[in-house]
Amino acid sequence: MPIIETVDLRKVFRSIKREPGLRGALGALFTREYEEKAAVEGVSFSLEPGEVVGYIGPNGAGKSTTIKMLTGILVPTSGTVRVAGLVPYEQREANAENIGVVFGQRSQLYWDLPLRESFELLRSIYDISRDRYRENLAEFSRLLDLERFMGTPVRQLSLGERMRGDFAAAMLHDPKLVFLDEPTIGLDVIAKESIREFVARVNRERGTTVILTTHDLADVERLCPRIILIDEGKVIYDGALERLREEYGTHRTLVVTLFESYPEFAVDGAVVESREANVVRLRFDRRKLSAETLVRRVLDRYAISDIAIVEPDIESIVRRLYLEGYGGTARVEPP
Amino acid sequence: MFGLYRQYWRINVLTTLEYRANFILWSLFTVVYHGSAIAALYIVLHEFPSMNGWTFRDMAFLYALWMLAHALQNTLFSNVDDVPERIREGDFDRVLIRPVDPLFSVIATPGQIFPDELILAASFFALATVYSGVRVDAAFVLLVPLVVAGGALIDLGINLGIATLAFWFVRVDALRWVVLQLEQEFTRYPIVIYSRGVRFLLTFVIPFAFMNYFPAAYFLDKHDGTFLLPPQVGLLSPLIGTALVLAAYAFWRFGLRRYQGVGH
Amino acid sequence: MRRRFRLEPYVEFAKRAIAREATYRFNVFTGLGSLVVRVYLLRTVWTALYAHNAAPRELPLHAIVTYSTVALLMGLVLDIDQTRALYDRLHDGSIATDFMKPINVPLYFFADGTGEVLFHGALLVPALGFALLLVHVDVPSLGVLAAFAVSFLLGYFVGFFLNFILNCSAFWTLEISAVQMIVTWLTDLLGGQLVPLVFFPAALAGVVYALPFAAMFSTPLLIYVGVIGPERYFDVMASQLAWIVVLGTVSTLLWRAGARRVVVQGG
Repeated sequence: MPIIETVDLRKVFRSIKREPGLRGALGALFTREYEEKAAVEGVSFSLEPGEVVGYIGPNGAGKSTTIKMLTGILVPTSGTVRVAGLVPYEQREANAENIGVVFGQRSQLYWDLPLRESFELLRSIYDISRDRYRENLAEFSRLLDLERFMGTPVRQLSLGERMRGDFAAAMLHDPKLVFLDEPTIGLDVIAKESIREFVARVNRERGTTVILTTHDLADVERLCPRIILIDEGKVIYDGALERLREEYGTHRTLVVTLFESYPEFAVDGAVVESREANVVRLRFDRRKLSAETLVRRVLDRYAISDIAIVEPDIESIVRRLYLEGYGGTARVEPP
Repeated sequence: MFGLYRQYWRINVLTTLEYRANFILWSLFTVVYHGSAIAALYIVLHEFPSMNGWTFRDMAFLYALWMLAHALQNTLFSNVDDVPERIREGDFDRVLIRPVDPLFSVIATPGQIFPDELILAASFFALATVYSGVRVDAAFVLLVPLVVAGGALIDLGINLGIATLAFWFVRVDALRWVVLQLEQEFTRYPIVIYSRGVRFLLTFVIPFAFMNYFPAAYFLDKHDGTFLLPPQVGLLSPLIGTALVLAAYAFWRFGLRRYQGVGH
Repeated sequence: MRRRFRLEPYVEFAKRAIAREATYRFNVFTGLGSLVVRVYLLRTVWTALYAHNAAPRELPLHAIVTYSTVALLMGLVLDIDQTRALYDRLHDGSIATDFMKPINVPLYFFADGTGEVLFHGALLVPALGFALLLVHVDVPSLGVLAAFAVSFLLGYFVGFFLNFILNCSAFWTLEISAVQMIVTWLTDLLGGQLVPLVFFPAALAGVVYALPFAAMFSTPLLIYVGVIGPERYFDVMASQLAWIVVLGTVSTLLWRAGARRVVVQGG
């Protein structure tokens, strides 16, 4: 049975339409015109227990509205949503026991108190049994190295330490499902890695389902076998990360360092992306032109000192998808 | 839920201890705040011996009754006032991802809450009771806690009602502020001195008069006959407070449903 | 070499402050709303008191209503913390950047505060309009009004330096909000804004006149209602000036010590 199932989920927000200027402000006092905007427009997907999914989209795409419906904060305008068998907005409190949430930009720890006190309070809120609490705390403090600053007031922690504390706080009650919203924002490379390692481990050992929304696609590449791309409230891709790379990451970049400078540089079948001093970057589509042919064409006309082929990273693939469109073919059913 | 509430107080006390100097200064402010109001009353009534038959001794009791009810409300429920700001800052969603009732979750959000104002209020109430010469008998001892609890509930009901408006309007600070001022300044004097409209407002619309005036009039045996009400109406404040809180809670539930439907 | 003083940047600071205050419309409305409520309250309370008791000779009902109304209106200007910007900039650490600019930093705070005060001062007009709907305010002779204006201005500087001293203490500790609130409340009571100081019992009056608060509210107000007559103008204003000198000196010393701290330790 899927742990999350949404069918044709929609959320429409109504806002007051206002003419600009003083006249508009005064006018709005008396007559009100509303305009409707769909933040989420027919989103359907399902997740099996134990999956780690990247929920990706630009700002305003409808990511956080979806998450709010899954956590029971918002009631959908239409469509159905089930989380671990419950309807979140109808059984909000029961649903809350099943989920954990980490907001990268907003801590749930108490600013003025040692971490330990925040954990104790969460123990009461989620009614975690003493034994369970002790076990989890011991394990998390080992994995996240919390022991060192367990007694330090949260306001004195570094961002990385605070985030580690927040992760432990979200997982203390053994949620079946965790929502991670920009969990690595602002962290340095080492802190990011330790957080990613923790998520991967909790998923592997406890079978916790993870939904990750982030702008840092390195998080996704590291953690999520599957991604759901959303834009303007609609799902534009849902499937394996690898498949996205294969289908949309068809372009490659050939980086050529020239032996001497040529006044002009052009090769059939490839586009010059940039040219700085003697380094030229050529973009080509590997379905239309093999790398071998391209290299041969370059060598035929120019003397070069170095050559390399660069594969596109996931970020550039996603950027291209948003900028250049996806032609309606992106919808791929999950494996 | 009881365990959670105990934890909440534990954290409040710990946080207060964390900021000892600040806590002492704010407690001092509480003393100055109430002290200056009482001093102003004293100075005025030193020059003018009575206000419509109310002497300084009576008015000290009137003030003490309001202060105690208000301090009780402040100590137990002041977090309700933070709801508008939490909604504005997006922090209110945190309340909704917890497996407890949202209002309880709001009330039990730790901060720097300490019962210093309540202790001060109780001490002043004891002093004012002796000073005012009110008859302290079994009935008084039995009725005062009821009336004070009723006053705190009236206070809470009005606060919760205003905080709930934040589900519709981004800013309710202005309204909250005006109502708080009405409460602070208008409960200081016996309502008989006000015009009919204001008396009506304080009795039937925003019933602050039931926080202190009517109960004090009952205990002090003042028969002003406001709106021809018998003195025993002073004992109705627990009922009025309960009704107000229930109404405010229903309104809160309604607002919460809207919040979940519309978002912000 | 000493730089030539230019007024222009400080005029700009003041203009900015006016524009900033104007954006807090909501404060303006609540300020005016609360003023109307308080004018109603003071009228009702004093009327009730005078109805049932013998009136004191010095202040008949119309004089006390005038006194209290003018006191509330003065509060629109005097209750402003003009040097709040100093605390704010110490709090977020941006004071260091102020020292990097070619400006006189205390003068910058003064200009900022003046802008704020000018904006709120402009509210006196609508506030007086609303107040006159509820109460009658006596208007004294031109000579008395002029003396009141001078004394009010002196009182303003007493308030300015008091606030400046409090905000300066943020150089050493940032937890000054409670102290500021305490001082604000004491100013209202001991300055004679709530109750005229002439009503204070003798023992308390002795203490009150030894404090600077009376120089802010009480002196100009008593000039306005005529309790302080022309023969005493010189004395009371000299005492106001003395407070300005004392508080101004303390402000200067504190500022120097605080500024040295910022420059040496980097805040």
